[in-house]
Amino acid sequence: MATSKECQYCHAELSRDEIGLSKKLFESETKKGKYSCMQCMSEMLEVPIDDLQAKIEEFKRQGCKLFG
Amino acid sequence: MRKKLIYADHAATTPLSDAAWAAMMPFLREEFGNPSSLHSFAKKPRDAVSAARATIAACIGAEPEEIFFTSGGTESDNWVIKGTDDVLMVSAYEHHAVLNAAASEESCGRKVVYVRPKVGGYLMPETLTKRWKDGVGLVSVMMANNEIGTINPIKTLAEAAHKRGALFHTDAVQAVGHIPIDVRDLGVDFLSASAHKFNGPKGIGFLFIRKGLKLKQLIHGGQQEAGLRAGTENVASIVGMAAALKENCDSIEENAAHLGVLKDQLLDGISSLSKEVHFPGSKFDYQLPGFVCASFPGRSAEGIVHVLDLKGIAISAGAACDSKNTHISHVLKAIRLPREIAEGTIRITLGIENSEEDVKAIIGALKIALSKG
Repeated sequence: MATSKECQYCHAELSRDEIGLSKKLFESETKKGKYSCMQCMSEMLEVPIDDLQAKIEEFKRQGCKLFG
Repeated sequence: MRKKLIYADHAATTPLSDAAWAAMMPFLREEFGNPSSLHSFAKKPRDAVSAARATIAACIGAEPEEIFFTSGGTESDNWVIKGTDDVLMVSAYEHHAVLNAAASEESCGRKVVYVRPKVGGYLMPETLTKRWKDGVGLVSVMMANNEIGTINPIKTLAEAAHKRGALFHTDAVQAVGHIPIDVRDLGVDFLSASAHKFNGPKGIGFLFIRKGLKLKQLIHGGQQEAGLRAGTENVASIVGMAAALKENCDSIEENAAHLGVLKDQLLDGISSLSKEVHFPGSKFDYQLPGFVCASFPGRSAEGIVHVLDLKGIAISAGAACDSKNTHISHVLKAIRLPREIAEGTIRITLGIENSEEDVKAIIGALKIALSKG
């Protein structure tokens, strides 16, 4: 689901999951209104997108309401 | 290619040692007899339990008949707290196994006195004295804190309790197998331990009860453990626990030296990442080997833990959030760490299998986490 927020690096429109993951991983940045898309997070952290997706699924299984 | 995984959460649990595994194997299959049976199948398991008891006793300076096997640290703590009747005095930063057992007693009408540790994360005898109440019969103070790693002056705390006629219990779950312990020298009356914290199996632990003392029974049934703790012995785990503890105690100085080097490198590396970093518990001279508690003001500990997890590194946080709030641990509250600092508090606990390369990888991952988080 797209939202009105965009990635601070590539300006891509962000999904609810991307916003949720930004909040989970980089809370102090998101407090300043800065979010990142999966692609940019993957490059920044040097981890595969699949690993980020797996994290999101884990948060969802735990019942975290930040995710869609 | 599967990324290398680095485990740096040894205060949570430790990997089973080869020695423990090897010792356990026969008792998981071929030597399955019940130690209480009268026939010959019981002999080897019975002898093994007896030898394990002697080994464990020797590791902490106790007599074999003072060692009682339990399901772990939580049961040992519950047994001591619920096995006594007098007014109870406990520190406010105990593990929940003590605090919740005390709260349960309190809900049944028992008086419980809580004492706060000093801001540095340790407890001094004068704190007990100042808060002393008539009728205190048992004092329970942990040997080493599980979140900040500080080691309490147990000998002087036990003396302070005894001077006022109270018994003294220490939850030594984080300390046993990691620092030298002699129950006679410390003068403790009860001591709790858990095998999985010193490279033994999960679900097994022990309680030291000084000879001549009695606790009310917690688990009723058969006559195992001198009739004081019922239930067929978990033979394989008991044997594994003894093997793991002996191995750790035999190399306790060597392990501490190795962990000391790694800890210094980690502290230097973390300090270089942030000028604002705090190290709760580190101002006190006595902290567990390989134990680093670091606070990054204004950062989210949970975020740091998740970023490191994505990098294949396991550490833990002193604060965790749900959808609405960040919950600060009772330990960080007890040492009066301001919320902004507490929220950014992580715990890195190294183990004997960790290397200098692991420390470099942890620092590298922290740099990434802190650059954004």
